[in-house]
Amino acid sequence: MAPDAAQVPCIHLDGAGVTFRTSRGTVEAVSDVSLDIGEREFLALLGPTGCGKSTLLRLIGDLTPPTHGRVEVRGQPAHAARQRNEFGFVFQEPALLPWRTALENVRLPLEVVGFPPEKRRMRCEELLQLVSLLGFKDSYPHELSGGMKQRVAIVRALAWEPSILMMDEPFSALDELTRNRLQEDLLALWAVEHKTIVFVTHNISEAVYLADRIAVMSPRPGRITAVLPVGLPRPRLPEMRETMEFLDHVREARKALGG
Amino acid sequence: MSEQNAPPFADSPSWWERVLPPALILIALLIVWEGAVRWLGIPKWLLPAPTAILERFLKLKTLWSHTGLTLMEAASGFAASAILGIGLSAGIVHSRFLERGVFPYVVVSNAIPIIAIIPLLTIWLGFGFAPKIMIAAIISFFPIVTNTTRGLKSADALALDFMRSINATRWQVFAKVQFPTALPFIFAAFRIASSLSIVGAVVAEFYGSDRGLGYLVITSATQLQTDLLFVSITVLAALGIGCFSLFGYIERRFGSAQAERGYQR
Repeated sequence: MAPDAAQVPCIHLDGAGVTFRTSRGTVEAVSDVSLDIGEREFLALLGPTGCGKSTLLRLIGDLTPPTHGRVEVRGQPAHAARQRNEFGFVFQEPALLPWRTALENVRLPLEVVGFPPEKRRMRCEELLQLVSLLGFKDSYPHELSGGMKQRVAIVRALAWEPSILMMDEPFSALDELTRNRLQEDLLALWAVEHKTIVFVTHNISEAVYLADRIAVMSPRPGRITAVLPVGLPRPRLPEMRETMEFLDHVREARKALGG
Repeated sequence: MSEQNAPPFADSPSWWERVLPPALILIALLIVWEGAVRWLGIPKWLLPAPTAILERFLKLKTLWSHTGLTLMEAASGFAASAILGIGLSAGIVHSRFLERGVFPYVVVSNAIPIIAIIPLLTIWLGFGFAPKIMIAAIISFFPIVTNTTRGLKSADALALDFMRSINATRWQVFAKVQFPTALPFIFAAFRIASSLSIVGAVVAEFYGSDRGLGYLVITSATQLQTDLLFVSITVLAALGIGCFSLFGYIERRFGSAQAERGYQR
């Protein structure tokens, strides 16, 4: 469904770049990126550590302003999209507020974006149910495992129904079993709440398993060197990870990475 | 139930194990003191016996009005400092101009000996309790501002990013993320600042006043009423310890509640 979805770009990058000024001169973190991401597309940004993929994600989400080029969301500057609360961010760390329960953490964005107060509780419980954490709604973050905390962080980013999910290596701090489990949870969630997803990762098979297309990045300066469509059928199932087709895609992505 | 209330460490002493040794030392000290004064015939103006001090304490009817006044001055100064200090910290965290322009003066102000300012404030504000409140406020301002600022700044960077990604207002970021993060720091500051504010009020009373514990200390010393001096010092010590324990208690209660909620991740 993905490559043709690019005909109606949800996110449009045109020569976008970020240059940081440091004490030792300027660093080109992201250089001249032109890319269209389709409505409801799952795009993975794949690259080695320090290649600027997180900066590119922050650029799209208007957390870092571009120093060159344009970043547009549905034809308007990314800034306008952030003001309309179109972005739901999930980071490498869950970044939950430790004095709030799981439910209260999911409720945080609802309080900020002005979600009707009488509907907040029901919405939070519905979301926690979606990731099988309803039984832990009154638990504090330190009482939850790493995977549970990240699931709370994911539904927190979906709570007010933003149209674009921005994920910055969300599973990289988890062990492999938990990571695989959360990848499947994410795909199941994506089937229900069909968003545009930009997913930053340095894990090749994760990118292949999840994404419609993989944008491969290289460091210094951070630029996109290849965009690979992933032709695997959906729904993606765990057993697919062993198929020749899957491994072909992994090999292709590894080659594009230059490894 | 009893397991939940058990002390956190197996070898942590029970309350009487903690209280008994210092209490025994104190009693022994008082007995030696009393004995020495009686048998060596030390004059009352040089060192009054504990019983004489206690007698003076029980007979002194004006003591509570002096104590009340000093406490009022200290509490007013402390409250003003707490409100202004937390307000200024919020400003410093939100405005780079304030941080660069004001924070250096806050740090430098701590280096000025407070005693040197008292005559100046007396010229400006007279001999009433206004300069005393002022001194109590100034002396407790520094720990409140520095601690609160540090607390507000220690908010989690990713949590702040998340708030920004949903276009949260500065007020929402402050109320929902920064201020709750700073609360343990603020309570720690209150513990220090509250005892400092008493010191400030008393020192200010040394200079031009006719009431308060500071006045009592100065007059009893100049008139060689040493027993009265001891009474004043004891009351002051009790006040200081009281403030320290009160805020220490709140801090621990709050701290343990936060620890249960995983404040220290």
